[in-house]
Amino acid sequence: MQQANRLRPFFENITFDRDDNELILNFGPQHPSAHGQLRLMLHLQQEQITKAHPDIGYLHRGMEKMAENMIYNEFMPTTDRMDYIASSSNNYGFALAVEELIGLDVPRRAKVIRMMLLETNRLMSHLFWLATTALDIGAMTVFLFAFREREYLMDLIEDYCGARLTHAAIRIGGVPLDLPDNFIADLRKFLDKLPENIKDYEDLLDTNRIWLMRMENVGVISKEMALSWGCSGVMLRASGVEWDIRKEEPYELYDEVEFNVPVSDKGDNYARYKLYMAEMRESAKILYQAIDMYEGTGLELMAHAPQYISAPKIDIMTQNYSLMQHFVLVTQGMRPPVGEVYVATESPKGELGYYINSQGGAYPYRLKLRAPSFWHTGILTDLLPGHYIPDVVSIIGTTNIVFGEVDR
Amino acid sequence: MAQHQVNYLKDGGLPVALTTIDKVVNWGRSNSLWALTYGLACCGIEMMASGASRYDFDRFGTIFRASPRQAELMVVAGTLTKKHAEFIRRLYDQMTEPKWVISMGSCANTGGMFNTYATVQGVDRVIPVDLYLPGCAPRPETLQYAVLLLQQKIRRESASRAQKPKRLM
Amino acid sequence: MRAYTPKDDVQKKPYYTDRYWVAPQVAKSDVSADAVFAADLEAIKAKFEVLDAYIQVKQMVVVINAVDNFSVIELLKNELEYNQLSEMSAIDWLADEGKFEIFYQMLSMSKRKRLRIKCKIDEKESLSSVSSLFRSADWSEREMYDMFGVVVNNHPFMKRILMPDDWEGFPLRKTYPLQGDEFAQWYEVDKIFGKEAREIIGPENRDPARVDRYDTERFSRLGHEVPRGADISQGEPDTPLVYQEEGGVFLIQKFDAEKSVVISDRDR
Repeated sequence: MQQANRLRPFFENITFDRDDNELILNFGPQHPSAHGQLRLMLHLQQEQITKAHPDIGYLHRGMEKMAENMIYNEFMPTTDRMDYIASSSNNYGFALAVEELIGLDVPRRAKVIRMMLLETNRLMSHLFWLATTALDIGAMTVFLFAFREREYLMDLIEDYCGARLTHAAIRIGGVPLDLPDNFIADLRKFLDKLPENIKDYEDLLDTNRIWLMRMENVGVISKEMALSWGCSGVMLRASGVEWDIRKEEPYELYDEVEFNVPVSDKGDNYARYKLYMAEMRESAKILYQAIDMYEGTGLELMAHAPQYISAPKIDIMTQNYSLMQHFVLVTQGMRPPVGEVYVATESPKGELGYYINSQGGAYPYRLKLRAPSFWHTGILTDLLPGHYIPDVVSIIGTTNIVFGEVDR
Repeated sequence: MAQHQVNYLKDGGLPVALTTIDKVVNWGRSNSLWALTYGLACCGIEMMASGASRYDFDRFGTIFRASPRQAELMVVAGTLTKKHAEFIRRLYDQMTEPKWVISMGSCANTGGMFNTYATVQGVDRVIPVDLYLPGCAPRPETLQYAVLLLQQKIRRESASRAQKPKRLM
Repeated sequence: MRAYTPKDDVQKKPYYTDRYWVAPQVAKSDVSADAVFAADLEAIKAKFEVLDAYIQVKQMVVVINAVDNFSVIELLKNELEYNQLSEMSAIDWLADEGKFEIFYQMLSMSKRKRLRIKCKIDEKESLSSVSSLFRSADWSEREMYDMFGVVVNNHPFMKRILMPDDWEGFPLRKTYPLQGDEFAQWYEVDKIFGKEAREIIGPENRDPARVDRYDTERFSRLGHEVPRGADISQGEPDTPLVYQEEGGVFLIQKFDAEKSVVISDRDR
């Protein structure tokens, strides 16, 4: 039984009364394969799309406004909720931006741990991408397989920071914790098995007729279009532009590890799928190297900068000055110098940038979150026309958009 | 032809079970709670995880449906924004009676950490909620526990009571 | 008379301000320090007026006049190989100088350089769109309009993007409160149930620590335990606090590491 409210009846989704045989179809905002809250207004000629208007903002929570009303450290958990498939990479982007702003150098062990977290998150994100996209296209087995592996990674992350999804595992100036005892052994165990798992997925999908028909030559993004729409990450590399921020503008220790940047010039869904699979293998390669690097590092986890960063817990508990300084930093917040900074990192989705304008206060004056998915959603405007309705689902799938990030 | 003498009132092998209509109906309802896929944000990912391997929601008879007409449980998983509010009401109205709502996670309960202009401060401002699930984000086990609690709740109430409209507040 | 408080910046302020605090600056270096940037700057200077230019945190910042924005970005794209517009948005300086600052974050993949073009416009002034150069500006400019109310000329589809179409106010302006104005706070109630339902549903609870002392349905008070839903408006009885530990803790035993089992296999 319905309660009285002002909403109009539900038939308005489809408009019939047009002369030109054009159908306007509303897709979303709550559609199982919209990967969140995407709403698409599709103009159709029979089954073919002539015009597409993505409508976003259904998850806009006002993060940029929140940031202007918070101290820097307070904002860290909020960044988790941006790209919630790979939270640590958001934490990291923000931490790096503030560190660049105040000019901090992070201890080597913290860098290694951060790199491990980033790559674990990349694996989690790619596995999740594979699972959901395969589910959308109908490959239920791959969904179950990929989630199985992802749960293992989530256990690892949970061992490290205690949370499965919203990690808040990185601090400005370092990392809060050292790796737990069994982390490296468990990680190695997972990595040893990963190639087999990836091969399993590929065996299921690579030559699968349905998969090929839904993927090959569908959603072709040309190089010019990808550049013009501000695409980044796999969306850009699948279109033949070799640009990986980890390689081109190395941060952390990415210049010390050896890995390849897979590129394809096809630009279709299938190319993107292949790149995600290849990137998983590369991430595993980086993780192996990070494990080796971890051994030779010192014990320090946080940068030493009393003006901005609290002292280690043991100092806070034993030394009066450290306690006072910690108290000031927690209650009043750190005050970075006046200036502005834009720092881009390669998140699993693409170029994740943080623009911070600091006026020397404890709160940022303006913080702009440059989330890759925002433009990857925007490109649907130009990409969808000409395709058929079933292709919409596979195209949205391979763009790998996350709405926490699109709408912020 | 063999003759069996069955003492219906004594032996255990009764072909008859005595119960109330309420119990039978509620037994059926509570063990086949089909949930609407209502993943709004981060909690939606945990909701997916609870439906996927390892957590396996199907054990409890909970299968995710994409259509509100086939669903009787709405798990509001994630932040409800002001822009989305009318759609949640619209989908809730389309669900068939009897229907239940689990508000999953702090954002759905109270707005959570997003105390901003764009966030609805609790889905109970828009639709009636049966069960609030704390956490940010709640683990899949928590969601499963919530469904078990909801099953208990359903079994306790009379079968026809759910047909009465729920008050929003 | 009540003291006047300016309303042009209603954002939350840190409660503690140090009057004698002089904020340090992020170092700005001269553009001549970097050959690539210096050449780019020369090319811009040759055609347009450059108000200021410096390098800050590895990126060049060029301040130009707002009227030149389209042609400068056209120059950057076509001649200086800046092939991506990573980001653009506005900053609200209305309280200080009555202007918006617009920034364009550019990326050159061939030179591996990032550059920021900045310009300032008045509150009522509008800007010309660069979406014909970079399609990514299409959505960025819509977002900028949505959040700040900066109108962009020649834009193909100037509409709100993140907020609903019938929204009032521009959320990222400093004059807009974090928790929304009255319109925002009642938005969903007005839309779904109508204004007359405001009284039934009640205002939003914006205080996460709110405890209603007389509400025994949802809150309990230690030392004043009463049955759920009891009416305590006329006062309630005290419940004396009794601690289990008073006669020593009898349930809790000391943890014996010898006898406990350590589970080593995570897949058990």
